[in-house]
Amino acid sequence: MLSGFYKQPEMTIGQKLAEMNWGLVALLTLISSIGFVMLYSAGNGSFHPWALRQMLRFAMGISILIALALVDIRFWLRYAYVIYGVALFLLVVVEIAGDIGMGAQRWINLGIINLQPSEVMKIALIIVLARYFHSLPEEAEGKLRYLLWPALLALAPAALVMRQPDLGTALMLLMVTGAIFFMAGVRLWKFAVAIGGVLAAIPVAWHFLRDYQKNRILTFLDPESDPLGAGYHILQSKIALGSGGVFGKGFLQGSQAHLNFLPEKQTDFIFTMLAEEFGLTGGLALLGLYGLVLVYGFSIAIRAQSHFGRLLALGMTATFFLYVFINIAMVMGLVPVVGVPLPLISYGGTSMLTLLIGFGILIGVNVHRDMVIGRSPRMDGP
Amino acid sequence: MSILFGTRHTRTNIDGIAKQALETGRTRILVAGALFSLAFLAIGLRLADVTIVKPTGEPRLATNKRTPAFAAGRADIVDRNGVLLATSLNTASLYANPRQILDAREAADKLARVLPGITAGEAMSKLSSDRSFVWLKRHLTPRQQYAVNALGIPGLYFQREERRVYPQGKLFAHVLGFAGTDGTGLTGIEKTFDDTLRSGAAPVRLSVDARVQHILHQELQAAVTAFRADGAAAMVMDAKSGEIIALVSLPDFDPNLPNAIPQKAAFNRTTLGVYEMGSTFKIFTTAMALDSGASKMASSYDASKPIRIARFVITDYHGKNRWLTVPEIFIYSSNIGTVKMALEVGTKRQQDYLRRLGLLAPAAIELPEVGSPLMPSPWREINTMTISFGHGVAVTPVQLAQATAAVVNGGILPKATLLKPAKDAAIPGTRVLKPQTSRDMRRLMRLVVTDGTGTKAEAKGYFVGGKTGTAEKIGARGYRAKALVSSFAGAFPIDDPRYVVLAIVDEPHGNKQSFGYATGGWVAAPVIKRFVERAAPLLGIAPRASDSPEVARILDLKLPVAAKSKTKDRQGSDQNASY
Repeated sequence: MLSGFYKQPEMTIGQKLAEMNWGLVALLTLISSIGFVMLYSAGNGSFHPWALRQMLRFAMGISILIALALVDIRFWLRYAYVIYGVALFLLVVVEIAGDIGMGAQRWINLGIINLQPSEVMKIALIIVLARYFHSLPEEAEGKLRYLLWPALLALAPAALVMRQPDLGTALMLLMVTGAIFFMAGVRLWKFAVAIGGVLAAIPVAWHFLRDYQKNRILTFLDPESDPLGAGYHILQSKIALGSGGVFGKGFLQGSQAHLNFLPEKQTDFIFTMLAEEFGLTGGLALLGLYGLVLVYGFSIAIRAQSHFGRLLALGMTATFFLYVFINIAMVMGLVPVVGVPLPLISYGGTSMLTLLIGFGILIGVNVHRDMVIGRSPRMDGP
Repeated sequence: MSILFGTRHTRTNIDGIAKQALETGRTRILVAGALFSLAFLAIGLRLADVTIVKPTGEPRLATNKRTPAFAAGRADIVDRNGVLLATSLNTASLYANPRQILDAREAADKLARVLPGITAGEAMSKLSSDRSFVWLKRHLTPRQQYAVNALGIPGLYFQREERRVYPQGKLFAHVLGFAGTDGTGLTGIEKTFDDTLRSGAAPVRLSVDARVQHILHQELQAAVTAFRADGAAAMVMDAKSGEIIALVSLPDFDPNLPNAIPQKAAFNRTTLGVYEMGSTFKIFTTAMALDSGASKMASSYDASKPIRIARFVITDYHGKNRWLTVPEIFIYSSNIGTVKMALEVGTKRQQDYLRRLGLLAPAAIELPEVGSPLMPSPWREINTMTISFGHGVAVTPVQLAQATAAVVNGGILPKATLLKPAKDAAIPGTRVLKPQTSRDMRRLMRLVVTDGTGTKAEAKGYFVGGKTGTAEKIGARGYRAKALVSSFAGAFPIDDPRYVVLAIVDEPHGNKQSFGYATGGWVAAPVIKRFVERAAPLLGIAPRASDSPEVARILDLKLPVAAKSKTKDRQGSDQNASY
């Protein structure tokens, strides 16, 4: 306990700003700008209705990012359970009194913005799990009962989100949890047991899925079984991708998207639109940019001296990765359609805000990377 | 890989443990990074795969997935020109689940208000039953369906159904027959081609012509009304191919209302009814006498005295009481002369000819309603004698038309059909008479219309030829002189016949215009005249001058001058003697 138990010098705002990963901020801005361009195209060559609003949201989000990057990561450690508690409370509220949109109960109307508690939970769960594994006493490592509490922390919100119903977000919460467990050093055989358990539970879980969820999975297995119904999205998406070719049809020239064959082109299927208009080249370029973001995330995680900071960084990075992977794999028919947006590009305020908050915390980890934090927040200096 | 699996041995150095944990963490980060990279590689490859390697083009969808055809169900039936004769409509039928009806009284009142044909009491008794399914009304119109929906009564439901519709109404009643409520063909073409029609393929194209059918129907109906007849049958047949152009049986019915068809109207007189045709049958007796060589056109027979055989006496209606030539026998419809010709042909040969002319076996027409001819057994000489003038053998009008076609078309018996054959299909037919016989018979049949019993069939310019007939119907005690079957069988234009026409009127009663006569010459022949005058232009036959040389050359026939004594009641002279 001796190593982390000394008072650290406070950094000034100026020092902190200097320590920020401005390269990452630029990268995020670049990706978001690609999003503006695509939304301009989705609006048939107009800033209305999507591109302009997305730009405003990005401006707001990037300010929040910079503000959060300045927050001492010990703040997150100290208030981890409070943040988690609030997020869980909001999930319960939305269950009881939420607005129903698109057949699912996901939003709380706060007047100005529609708050989506499941997005808040994505961040809160990472913080609380990072804190739990950070504070885990050494002798506890490797003991099964110490994994029950974090498992419960993850399963409770996942179950609530599942009830909304939002299968995609619920699965994402569980996968991020799995990633944090993995990187916190939980032994591999336990993962094997967990995965085995999940596989065994699939037949049971099938009965609890909604019809549309079952349809999506069946459609994933054979999209052409119902080309005008449940398979429509994915088939139209594949047609659009195939018609893009190597260099695409050109900006504003994507007929699948502009003639509205492609559903949800401004949100979940925006990658398809990009690949239709800019082809394989455009798609791979975007993948490369996303890859760079992941490299930033990993390098921040590796450089972080504290267990908490590293897990925080990894959690955020893993969340980002999952967004990218699930969305792109989904539009190409590699995984079932689950309704996960393409990060920073899909139209939608909530996911952009969640991601920029996550990146704010990530950059904060980098700013405070040399901070040594004890196992218990109370053991830190004032 | 001990790092990955964690270290089991204890370390005393706390710093060391922390380092160890950090080390494990770093390794795991690298593993995670590697996994993420693999995942990115996978989606990158997949992207290349869907964009260039196997692009999913639009045509694949269009060729792979055949949109199921709109389920119109039962196929249409059209006439030879494509005019719609029968089709299927999708309709809604109203049923109720009485257990779900909240207020049966109110629902019944409301329904009775919007649906004609349903009384409140009737609806009430249905809606208050304890069953869970009652039909309220089948085949609602869209407007009625809207009205019922607007009532907003829970417990009422619609069943999508198909309704068979016959746009021509009564016109093709006996040709088409009808399909039942469940869409099964019950009679007529609907039954014969039930499987084909059900498979919902291309429309069934019939040989009939709606325009010609309409004219024939109208003229025949006029005769039935004018002569207060019991019924009538008429047909038009292509003389060479056997295609039936029109087929009318009266009384008829509306196949759109299959539940309200009287038994008598459902009876198809043209193919199911068998009739002793009377003198019309002399066409075949004369033809076989000429064809077999038993008689020549110039042969003459003694018709001066009635024939007595056993307890019967065969007389002529208006006997000439002298020897008659074959043409005279035919055009004056002499029973005595015809019997004498038949006796020279002989029983055996008479049977053979009748069989070859298709008169002794049911016609092979595409209708389920086909009657079997009646014939004597044993077939004695007396039968040969009576059959020669059309008594003793009863045949269907379609058989008569077929055999008449063979007599006039050059001697080839066609197969009567209701289907339009493919354009280049071979015409089935068997030679039954010599071409010369057919030529002679055409001359004789023309003489009947110009100089004999059938003058009322003369349609100016169209050269109708034929033979009248007036048969007595068999009653409970032998033949009834006042119950007649009056007929005319012929063809036009007779110099090169295109169409065989046939009209048979059952139990006509003479009227003022016919001076009380109800014979074939007075009743059936005028139907043919009016029909031909109206229909021939439609069938593409131009009228010609009556003295046009090409007709005169083909029909040159000099009737023996001695026989040319006209009687004013000639139209009635073909009535056969009673026994």
